[in-house]
Amino acid sequence: MNLRRILALATRIVHQFRRDRRTLFLLFVVPVLVLSLLAWIYRGDGASPVTLAIVNEGQSPLAAQIVTGLQEDASLTVREMDAAAAMRALDQGEVDAVLTLPADLSLRPGGPPQQIEVTLDGSDPSTTSAVMGALTRTLPETVVRAVNPAGLPIQIEPRFLHGGPEFDRLDYLAPVIIGFFVFFFVFLLTSVSFLRERSEGSIERLIVSPLGRGEIVLGYMLGFTLFAALQAAVTVLFAVYALRIHYVGNLGLVFLFTLLLTLGAVNLGIFLSTFARTELQVVQFIPLVIVPQALLSGILWPIDSLPEPLQWLAHALPLTYAAEALRGVMIRGDGLAALWVNLAVLAGFAVLMIVLGTSTLRREAA
Amino acid sequence: MEPIVEVENVSKQFGPITALAGVTLDVPSGIIYGLLGPSGSGKTTLIRLIAGAMRASAGQVRVFGRPQPSRANAARIGYMTQAAALYPDLSLRENLTFFGTLYGLDDRRLRERVEAIAAEVELADRLDSPLHTFSGGMRQRASLACALLHEPDLLILDEPTVGLDPVLRRAFWERFRRLAAAGRTLIVSSHVMDEADRCDRLAFLREGRLLATGSPSELRQITEQANLEDAFLALAAGTGSLLEGGVR
Ligand SMILES: Nc1ncnc2c1ncn2[C@@H]1O[C@H](COP(=O)(O)OP(=O)(O)OP(=O)(O)O)[C@@H](O)[C@H]1O
Ligand SMILES: [Mg+2]
Repeated sequence: MNLRRILALATRIVHQFRRDRRTLFLLFVVPVLVLSLLAWIYRGDGASPVTLAIVNEGQSPLAAQIVTGLQEDASLTVREMDAAAAMRALDQGEVDAVLTLPADLSLRPGGPPQQIEVTLDGSDPSTTSAVMGALTRTLPETVVRAVNPAGLPIQIEPRFLHGGPEFDRLDYLAPVIIGFFVFFFVFLLTSVSFLRERSEGSIERLIVSPLGRGEIVLGYMLGFTLFAALQAAVTVLFAVYALRIHYVGNLGLVFLFTLLLTLGAVNLGIFLSTFARTELQVVQFIPLVIVPQALLSGILWPIDSLPEPLQWLAHALPLTYAAEALRGVMIRGDGLAALWVNLAVLAGFAVLMIVLGTSTLRREAA
Repeated sequence: MEPIVEVENVSKQFGPITALAGVTLDVPSGIIYGLLGPSGSGKTTLIRLIAGAMRASAGQVRVFGRPQPSRANAARIGYMTQAAALYPDLSLRENLTFFGTLYGLDDRRLRERVEAIAAEVELADRLDSPLHTFSGGMRQRASLACALLHEPDLLILDEPTVGLDPVLRRAFWERFRRLAAAGRTLIVSSHVMDEADRCDRLAFLREGRLLATGSPSELRQITEQANLEDAFLALAAGTGSLLEGGVR
């Protein structure tokens, strides 16, 4: 091992990408754009609330109270209309659901439960759950108000250990987005630059030079770690200071986990690039390597909500452990004591990939 | 004096393809050794084995007395691959600095050598432009510069003059001659027979086999041909005794 040679390789990688505007854009601007877009989606107020048509058949006092209650619900836009107009509006997509309040609706303590009918379009599950959510939230409260103006006799008083009432999807997503982009870009850039090394033939010059295989792997890791660290820094700073996401963590730990993820990704890239002959073929690895991790590693859905076999699969993916750790660090302020399993798994993955990456290089001279 | 390169009964298989079959030759010190043969005859394969880019399937290649590939030999060998095999996004200076550092030149010497070698291949004014802005011939000179930078004792050049204009080609061969005169050993492959006369010794390759080795005049003599192209054809036509390659 010779540090000067390793540094020469790392410096070369930095020089190669330093002037490549497209790659720099990909590395440093795209994550910021994606985070901004998510912020817009989750925090922007453009979301049109669900429109509910109410067919009030009898104008009973209870019905009037229910209408007022639903009108007060911020997630609903309420329009009163007659039955025929309501069904037409639902059919044409002008309203999302029709609530029919029967003429004889009244409180009958002790009597059998009364049915009120909701007609839904049903073709969009998110609209369905928004309507049903709003109704189940608002109806009991307004019905109880009819007998007790103070509302429900029991109120839920939330207390938060982490996050808080203001905590939203973006706070939940941002830490993981950081890990995802580091993994994705480092994997992509390493496999493409390694492929070029092979197709341009420069790998042959490296192999006959005094540079050892281990030094090649170390040089690559060092060069890409620099980019990954910069990318993580840009993304974290943007998320914390510009988007003001919830952040209680330790930046050092964020970098530690990013580093482990980078080491794994660099060597996975070196390893998989042996199976590709063109850059298009490298791109074809994305559905294989990146998409399952994006879907299963708990970025979008909690792992607990997955079917059991998929949970096992999720626990075989490195990004799962990185995502959990980054969330732990940034949202809950976890320290190493709470995350040592994640640390060990990611370190193990990195070591496994280093072995695979180095062994592919060894075969190069066969 | 011990030869710099000893190739002993070397074969190389690529799956079903036999790229080299039982090649034996010695390269003495301080000469230009030409590897000649048509496309696909195994020149690059032999060169890669000598340079230590891969291992022989059978037989042995020794360079400076050590079996190849050998880490200890690496710094004393300069290898110019058939394609430019440099980094097109990097400037010539960055390419040279990278390879120079790999070969262990210290900073001061590296700076001197980069300037000197760039001047020598007449690219001093282009040191800081990226290689993808270079013409084919300029890229070829850049590639040669990278192989010469660390002043290796053994230079292995795979078709270094392909695609060069006659002026540039002559300049390359004059440079090779100067290097040999300074005590360096050069192995140069080519499929152009008119370059064969510029070598001190030749090996004729065809379909992975060695047809003959010897100096240009020896090869002319045994084949009774006036020019080397005819000598090669006569050897390729394969009169039995000649295939044994009495001249080693
Ligand atoms: N990596 C490889 N995998 C499979 N076959 C190979 C490989 N390298 C060379 N060959 C085969 O070995 C034979 C010799 O190839 P080689 O490149 O040594 O020829 P060459 O004399 O250098 O030709 P040229 O003048 O065209 O460069 C050819 O049949 C070629 O197809
Ligand atoms: Mg060749």
